[in-house]
Amino acid sequence: MHDIHKSIPWPPSDDALVSVKGLSYSYPNHRKALTGIDLDISSGDRIALVGQNGSGKTTLIKLLCGLLSPTSGEILYKGKPLPDHHLDRSRPEIGLLFQDPDDQLFGHTVVEDVAFGLRNQGLSRENARHEALHALEQVGLEKLAYKEPHNLSYGQKKRAALAGVLAMQPDVLLLDEPTANLDPRQEEIFLDLLKGFHGTLICISHDLFFLYELCERAVVLDQGHIHHNYTMRDLVSQRRSLREHGLDFSFRLVVEPPAHLPDSPLPEDMQVQTPSIPDRAVNEKLVVMRNYQYCYPDGTFALQGVHLSIHAGERISIVGENGAGKTTLLSCLIGLRRGEGDYVFDGKPVTKSSRKDLWRHAGMVFQDCADQLFCASVREEIAFGLRRLGYSRAECRPRIHQALSMVRLEGFEDRVPLHLSGGERKRLALACVLAMEPRLLILDEPTAGLDPHGEEMFLEILGNLRTTILLVSHDMFLVKELTQRTLVIHDGRIVTDLPTHVFMKDESLSSLNGLAFSYRQRSSSAIRILQHEHEHSHLHEHLHTHRHRHGELEHEHPHEHAHEHTHRFVHRHTGDQQQHDHIPSRYHDHDHPEHGSESHDHSHPGIMPNGREPRD
Amino acid sequence: MSELIPIQLPLWQMPLLVLLPLALPAVMIAGLRRMVNRRRIPEEERDWSIPPLTDGDGKSLLHRWDVRCKILTILVYSFIIASLRHPEPAAVAVAASLLVLMIARVPLVKVLLRLLALAGFLGMLLVVMPFTVAMHPGDTLLVFGGVNWLGLNLRGLTLAATIAAKAVAIALLMEPLLSTAPLPVTLHGLSRLGVPEMTAQMVLLSYRYLHVFRHEARRMSSGMQLRGFEKRTNLATLHALANFLGMLFVRSFERTERVFDAMRARGYQGQFPAPAELRMHFTDVLISIIWISAGIALIVYDRIVLQG
Repeated sequence: MHDIHKSIPWPPSDDALVSVKGLSYSYPNHRKALTGIDLDISSGDRIALVGQNGSGKTTLIKLLCGLLSPTSGEILYKGKPLPDHHLDRSRPEIGLLFQDPDDQLFGHTVVEDVAFGLRNQGLSRENARHEALHALEQVGLEKLAYKEPHNLSYGQKKRAALAGVLAMQPDVLLLDEPTANLDPRQEEIFLDLLKGFHGTLICISHDLFFLYELCERAVVLDQGHIHHNYTMRDLVSQRRSLREHGLDFSFRLVVEPPAHLPDSPLPEDMQVQTPSIPDRAVNEKLVVMRNYQYCYPDGTFALQGVHLSIHAGERISIVGENGAGKTTLLSCLIGLRRGEGDYVFDGKPVTKSSRKDLWRHAGMVFQDCADQLFCASVREEIAFGLRRLGYSRAECRPRIHQALSMVRLEGFEDRVPLHLSGGERKRLALACVLAMEPRLLILDEPTAGLDPHGEEMFLEILGNLRTTILLVSHDMFLVKELTQRTLVIHDGRIVTDLPTHVFMKDESLSSLNGLAFSYRQRSSSAIRILQHEHEHSHLHEHLHTHRHRHGELEHEHPHEHAHEHTHRFVHRHTGDQQQHDHIPSRYHDHDHPEHGSESHDHSHPGIMPNGREPRD
Repeated sequence: MSELIPIQLPLWQMPLLVLLPLALPAVMIAGLRRMVNRRRIPEEERDWSIPPLTDGDGKSLLHRWDVRCKILTILVYSFIIASLRHPEPAAVAVAASLLVLMIARVPLVKVLLRLLALAGFLGMLLVVMPFTVAMHPGDTLLVFGGVNWLGLNLRGLTLAATIAAKAVAIALLMEPLLSTAPLPVTLHGLSRLGVPEMTAQMVLLSYRYLHVFRHEARRMSSGMQLRGFEKRTNLATLHALANFLGMLFVRSFERTERVFDAMRARGYQGQFPAPAELRMHFTDVLISIIWISAGIALIVYDRIVLQG
């Protein structure tokens, strides 16, 4: 099936740094995680390890750094089997960065944590501290060296965790979702740090834009098997293969209308889609906040002077860097926190007592859906809120069914939420909220941690909803696709309130407040070219100059004529559609090999078709 | 053996002689609480009751004292104080603790916070004990307005005051014990004194992850609140709380595994690197000897001088 876009696999290496041979691993419950993995990794390789949630990526990197032992097969590191005595010597050379930095920062101060690995490498306390401070300087956290990890922001924690690994000067760096939940600015900082690492790098991520910037080689895992081992370029350009592995992120490659080609109308599918405002959104204000503020007990203002109005049916996004006040605003909107100022929901002022009832009208899907799933079955999970709304068990049943079908989880009623995949759990969290029919749906980073397939499905579900949506996201694609209005929040204030399409075009605004996403635009353009550039053969006409023959006469001049030959075209397909049109008047420059020697039967003033000049 | 000695007093003197002296410390405690609360503590600030985690600026004698000697000496001395029977040596012990506080130069606010934590318990003791202590022959009873069953036993009051003084004397020493060395060093010292290494490691990690679990629990609780959960006295609440605790446990367990993996990935092989090199000098031992001698002197004063 994958032969459709078959490309040259990564050549096996004779001097592999890590060599995996016939590796299999089964979980303690005998479920197979990996089967027959063969992989050679050379020194300096930068590998993207991709695959759907549950394909075995994390298990593979845990095996590579010796945290798990293979069920069968072997892993050779520098030519020696990894387990046994060699493991203790190898481990400090193989650094692993975990997805959640709180798992990794177990020290009481940042510097102590960073020095932990160095001390285990045998360095003295003073030397380890010195090296740790140097590593912190590398990641720009030297001023926070003596802070306790729980007082750092999420992005800072991620960098501190990276410093802990880099300080050990590993030869191999294994990264598990390094940019998950980071704002675009932190993401760029992280990307630059990783680009500066000169050793071997293996990175797990669902973010193919990030991987495209960072890695040269891609290994695709599917249900515990390696399906592809080729270049990153091959991975991103072969859309059908991406789709088969649930990795197709091409829906993110939205083509902007080219401003320099006014004469080339875009096909309908290429135009930017803006979500339409439902009819009922006319003038009904669902939420009004006036001069609203929230102050932490230490006197810091998390929100100040917030003026906000949301119309029923509107779709609004809130963007801003980590710590700008987005989450506090959501907490106030939904009644978890109470600030000062006017807050009117659905025409009624929200008072100290009425804020406790806001849950009846507003629902929220958390960034980490594990925070809102706590029941023993999917049915119970959805019924939890419904029962508190006063519905009987019998009334709950059709609502549960309806909510599950809205999120495409039909038949999941008896499943255990804890055992569902990441994407399924996210959709279940949405179903729990939708079942309660909220007038305002708040989404906090709804696609965080989802693979591209899960993302696409989630996006489709959200696109079909008719309720008022308030989205908080760092993902500019999501903002653009889902919302019509964008608010930028900075330092607890709403600094900008613009239609989303205007916000998207305002480069100064988008680069402000940690929303810079230049590398994404860069890689998006590059991938779009790779994905949609292929050869076509068709008849066309153009004016060109080259040497050509008319019988015995050979000469050169500009002339126009039709001929058929192959071209490389940059254009967009819809879905898997193979039939498509090329924009008729687009300019392209290309060679015409052998064309000069072909017969040219165009007319010349003063030249006979046989090339001879007419006699008077 | 003589009988009880009742002293009859008019009822109006009761507020003057009993309630006022009790109200005074209560007002002081309230004032202290207010003063402490006025220091607005940021949400993320470290819990005051937790010892410092890094070396502070302190350069006092207690900061320089070997942590093993310090732990052992203060522990033995605390037992000596706890064994005192008379209010006079207990008061001397309080004075000695104040002297130690001055030498250690620890922040007064933190000392007061520790005392405040004890205040409720000690206040209750001072109020209840004089009225409830078992009557012994020779006890002096203050009887107000002829209400015999509500006699205030002066021996009970003395006993309560002695217990309170001993508790305060020991509590005052906790700050010099815990704040004059980083917690990891204190725990390292404990493990060098024979406390299992694993216990010290668990205490350290518990502190770090208390914050993480607290945040997780808070987020989960918000998730429940947003779906209408309210604590009530019914089965549904019990069911929901059981689910909440179960899920918190599962998440904590999973995190424990991940943290352990992260530690192993950075070379952990069952032992944390020593946070400091412990060296015992003659002066350290000398300080311990002097301190314990002072404790023995208190015992002699309590058991021989006063008993005799």
